[in-house]
Amino acid sequence: MAGKVERIRSESGGSSAPPHLAGYRLLLAGLALALLLGILIAACVGVVPIPLRSLAQSLLGGQALNGDQHLILFTIRLPRILAAAMAGAALSVSGLLFQGLFRNPLADPYVIGSSGGALLGASFGVFILPQLSMAGFGATALLGVLGAICSISLVYMLASVNGRTPVVALLLAGFAVSTMLSYCSYFLEIMDRGYGTGMRVLSSWLHGTIAQPTWPQLAVLAAMVLVGIAASFPLTRRLNTLALGEEYAAHLGLHVQQTRIAVIVVGSLLTAAAVALGGLISFVGLIVPHMMRMILGPDHVRLLPATALAGGIFLLIADTVARTVIAPSELPVGVLTAFIGGPFFLYLLRQAKREVFA
Amino acid sequence: MTPLLRFASLGFSFVDRTVFTGLHAAVPSDACIALIGPNGCGKTTLLRLAAGTLKPTHGDVLLRGKSLAALSQRSIARSIALVPQNVEVSFGFTVQQFVEQGRTPYLKLFGGIGATDREAVEHAMELTDTCSLRSRVFNQLSGGERQRVKIALGLAQQPSLLLLDEPTQHLDIGRQLELIDLVKRLRHHGIAILASMHELTLIEDAFSEVWMLSPGEPMRQGSPQEMLRPDLLGRVFDCPPPSGPILLKPSPKHSERVRL
Repeated sequence: MAGKVERIRSESGGSSAPPHLAGYRLLLAGLALALLLGILIAACVGVVPIPLRSLAQSLLGGQALNGDQHLILFTIRLPRILAAAMAGAALSVSGLLFQGLFRNPLADPYVIGSSGGALLGASFGVFILPQLSMAGFGATALLGVLGAICSISLVYMLASVNGRTPVVALLLAGFAVSTMLSYCSYFLEIMDRGYGTGMRVLSSWLHGTIAQPTWPQLAVLAAMVLVGIAASFPLTRRLNTLALGEEYAAHLGLHVQQTRIAVIVVGSLLTAAAVALGGLISFVGLIVPHMMRMILGPDHVRLLPATALAGGIFLLIADTVARTVIAPSELPVGVLTAFIGGPFFLYLLRQAKREVFA
Repeated sequence: MTPLLRFASLGFSFVDRTVFTGLHAAVPSDACIALIGPNGCGKTTLLRLAAGTLKPTHGDVLLRGKSLAALSQRSIARSIALVPQNVEVSFGFTVQQFVEQGRTPYLKLFGGIGATDREAVEHAMELTDTCSLRSRVFNQLSGGERQRVKIALGLAQQPSLLLLDEPTQHLDIGRQLELIDLVKRLRHHGIAILASMHELTLIEDAFSEVWMLSPGEPMRQGSPQEMLRPDLLGRVFDCPPPSGPILLKPSPKHSERVRL
């Protein structure tokens, strides 16, 4: 159902016409292939390089790696790579969902405070209820989801005017809420008497460093991301209808309130998974949906799979650069995305200037 | 026979202001009604009440004898399409994607657009002569194009009744006549029409009945000839009685184009 939209097309196709179905499928296949290749290449590079041929042999069941290489590949590098790809996909899809909900292309999970909410919720899990988070990410991630839902609902209530969220109101509300939440996390850190793991976890979250998850942790978060993306599919065509405005969408029989709640819950689930994987990583949820929108047009049904794949590729590349560019030290990937994403955000803001200063 | 839509002692008040009370009227299934009245008299409110997006404070709106309150908005939207005055679309949706939204009341919980939906969309775009616009971005259309595309979305709902809110607003005289042509064409296709109008000169040609709202008075109903009298218009619109021909006769050449 995703892309059977363009059956007949007039000869005078406009410049912004989305590509045909065949082109769309080709794009998806290309993105999937690129993601796969990216994972393989990223697995080879690092402080200890692994030749691509031995990697391939090892993955196909052969024993071409020595003990150290095997250890590095399976306990350090692969989990890290998969974590980066999953966080990128989760951030991009939640960005896409929030942009549709707010009817505003600047709604990035970091900018509008959803990441901050997830961070505070997860910090609560780490500092106040550490015994719950011992068994993997379970409780921490759940508290992260709750935190994200609360903060995004608050921002939505503060920023919406008659169902529209003006750029200025959205950015100010998001800024205020996420600043408050970040400092609440610092407060939790000060109150913590453990001086140990909690502080280290929080510090890496605040910098936006992709975590080094264990395989069971990765499995829990992979389930969260997959459920989130799957649950986004039925929401996509509803976001298209919502683009007409709430009253019109309601007239057409869309359950606006239910849709809104569903988008907030699913977007928060994805944000919380991303925060558990890599902390506060800014602007990915802004850049990736925007680039896909430039190629595919605004149809959310088509954008969802492409955005998920492209998000995975984007953060995978960014994280690979971040961990190799100043080797043997590492740059938090959040720093890198802020360098790339900040100017991009300002560019988009300039595009929206007419609305901002009207 | 039960009329398509009936307003039964309908009343509506905003928190601080009563818009109308005790309004009785019926829209038969072959109606073509122009709704006129001064600014703020409740034309848009009446259309929104008819579409079920506003709930009446008193009385009832009945669709084929059933109260709108007892029907789901989905089933209302399959019989009644409201074409609003202004539509603000976020992002650069194309005309085709925009018109497809008219199929929303027919889509299943997890379903998308299917073959019957595409057929309805094509038909709606053919009727409104918007097929050539299909890949254009909705937000970049001119006023006249935009109006026709909005009506195409309404027709994609396959309604029995089309509610038009100021369809000729902001249009030049050529586009206004084009729109009146479209209204007549839709009448021939058996779609009932209730349209709020400010361009009184366009009414007699296309509409068979006029409803005149006036603050603090019961609504008047009658034929265009009965309602568009200078003395009555002058009183209701609070202006000197309009002199000269209030009714514009379309040229014969133009009428021929209508038949095509």
